[in-house]
Amino acid sequence: MTSAIKIIFSITLILLSFINVFPQTTFEEQYIYAANLYSEEDYFDAITEFKRLLFFDESDNYVHSVNLYIGLSYKMGGRFSDALQYLALAKLNSSSEEEFFDSSIEIVKVNILRRTTRRAFALLDTIANDTSFVHKLEEINYWKGWAYIFSDEWGKAASTFSEIQSTPQLAVLCDSVYNELYNPQLAKYLSIVPGAGQFYTGEYVSGLISIGWNVLWGYLTIEAFIGDRIFDGVLIGALLWWRFYSGNIQNAEKFALEKNLEITNSALYYLQNDYEGEKP
Amino acid sequence: MRKSLLIIFFLQPLAIPQSTTFDFYSPQNIKLFANYLFCEEDYLRAIEQYELLENQFVNDTIKFKIMLGYSDLKLYQQSNDLIKSLNHESKLYPDAYLVSMKNELLISHKRLHYIALSSFNLSQQAGFNKLSAISLLYGNEQSIKKSDFVSVFNSAQQNTASFLYDYKFNPPYRSPAWAGIFSAIIPGSGKMYVGEWGDGITGLLLTGLFAVLAYDNFRADHNTRAWIFTGIGAFFYAGNIYGSVATAQIYNAKFNFDFQNGLNLFLEQENYFLPEYDFCN
Amino acid sequence: MQSKHLIFFVLLLLTTSVFCQIDDLKWKKAYLSYEVPDQFRNRDYSFESDNAAEFLEKSFVNAYWFFISDVDGDNCPFDPSCSSFFIYATEETNVFQATLMFSDRLTRDSNPIKKNKYPWDKNGHYYDPAYNYTLNQERIDYLPPTFIVEDE
Repeated sequence: MTSAIKIIFSITLILLSFINVFPQTTFEEQYIYAANLYSEEDYFDAITEFKRLLFFDESDNYVHSVNLYIGLSYKMGGRFSDALQYLALAKLNSSSEEEFFDSSIEIVKVNILRRTTRRAFALLDTIANDTSFVHKLEEINYWKGWAYIFSDEWGKAASTFSEIQSTPQLAVLCDSVYNELYNPQLAKYLSIVPGAGQFYTGEYVSGLISIGWNVLWGYLTIEAFIGDRIFDGVLIGALLWWRFYSGNIQNAEKFALEKNLEITNSALYYLQNDYEGEKP
Repeated sequence: MRKSLLIIFFLQPLAIPQSTTFDFYSPQNIKLFANYLFCEEDYLRAIEQYELLENQFVNDTIKFKIMLGYSDLKLYQQSNDLIKSLNHESKLYPDAYLVSMKNELLISHKRLHYIALSSFNLSQQAGFNKLSAISLLYGNEQSIKKSDFVSVFNSAQQNTASFLYDYKFNPPYRSPAWAGIFSAIIPGSGKMYVGEWGDGITGLLLTGLFAVLAYDNFRADHNTRAWIFTGIGAFFYAGNIYGSVATAQIYNAKFNFDFQNGLNLFLEQENYFLPEYDFCN
Repeated sequence: MQSKHLIFFVLLLLTTSVFCQIDDLKWKKAYLSYEVPDQFRNRDYSFESDNAAEFLEKSFVNAYWFFISDVDGDNCPFDPSCSSFFIYATEETNVFQATLMFSDRLTRDSNPIKKNKYPWDKNGHYYDPAYNYTLNQERIDYLPPTFIVEDE
């Protein structure tokens, strides 16, 4: 070979030894790649890549964090049963108290979102009773407050948040919602006087119509009894007067529940879209 | 010169420290991962991984597994498209043929007109015969006798097959016309004929009540009230006739629904007469 | 040689085109709303109609809802309620046939034994749509009594 060719050959050989013709990745790079897919909200593919890492990882270095990520990906896809399965695996494979606590809180959040709040409360009580997490009491109470919100117990949510110094706005919000809510039982009892329950809930037109019907049928029933037309009186009383009277009670409760739903949904909308703190 | 270059080339990996590398995307590793996903019944991901393999790594077993995966995901046409790429001489081709029959049944809901393969073994032939026979229940022609139909199935399946055959070709429908006629003669009887005794008795009582009230008021010379009750009675009488016809139609629709449900359940329980494929042990 | 290459490329195209369905099946991020859905019976008080007869009918029904039905409580065990059933029946057929369907509905409503006959809606009412009673067999969408209708 001529010297020029020898030089070119040597340089090429040296360069080739540095180039990876078949790219290989480290486990860490695979983990970062999958995590990037998660942060780009490509949850399905993120799960695929995390499962790939888990399948080939014989050292079990990534078991906890990968299962956690897979659980969170399923949660973002609305697949709560799958999410809970993998979050439970993450919790089982925690190598530190911090990891155990974080997994438990993620499980609580999924239970809050799917409104299985009894399970969320049970889990929160379990970790609150664990002496290793005494320093995490504020965070536990924070999620307890959210669980109260999702189980429609705004009063308890308000008092729970008021014990936490860092979230005064949530305490104020829950308290104002609680004070605005109508009492459906009170609406029902007030309706013993026709129309009163509807007036309590602000449905004045419905209340007036209800009063009108009850007065009419009541008058006709009593007039029939006075006029010794017992059969007519019983028919009007049972079929018409009772129907409108019980309807007035039913409506009062229904209006109270409807108004309450409007109030709570408006608060939930704010919490989901405008509140900047941590959410489930 | 050559010796020194060779030394440099082979010493280079030792000179530059490297972290542990692993080729996640080598064909062998993609196949391993895909097989694992298939055994986990995560068929969508398994198919996606098999898709990454280049053609030279995709053998008939993989194609068949993809067929099964698509079929399980209810993508029957996509599953059937794959059979075209399978080698006819392959050991899995007869099984793939049976899977394609199942897919076709679920796509078209019509009678199958497939020809048996000469390469079928005994159990595949039995599966083919059963699938072909059961597809008869999706068509409308009663082209084989009941005894011939039932004899295709094994003893544990024959009762159900016989029951389904009877339901298909001798359905116990109720005639909407007769239901209407019965209700015109005796209000409510049309609904009782269809099996709706509660609605029938209610219809009879309502029509009867207003007829009696009308008669009573006519007799007492309360003509206005009498005509009101007559009108209401006529309203319920006409409605009862109409309702009887509609109820007979709904009864027949219910019967068709129950039959189809029963047939689907039977097929699912028998796994569409396909053998159990075990790629995981 | 060339025909072999052609066959190879056709087969390659066939297999790759089949495999490209996967992307459509992958689930995406879900939008999860914190709000609780409204489970109360909501009336359609609009006066939209195709002709004068329908307008008259809708006016009558709206007046009935406003002055009577909305005040006497939720008495109808069915969904749609009997008055709404009449409206839907008119839309499916005509006023005369709808009247007959409505009469039949009142009879069935008067029957105290309704269990194991109708499917349910998510609010606990019996689901009984008008299109099952138009006398058009093709229109019937039978649902078993164990079924719970989520979206109507």
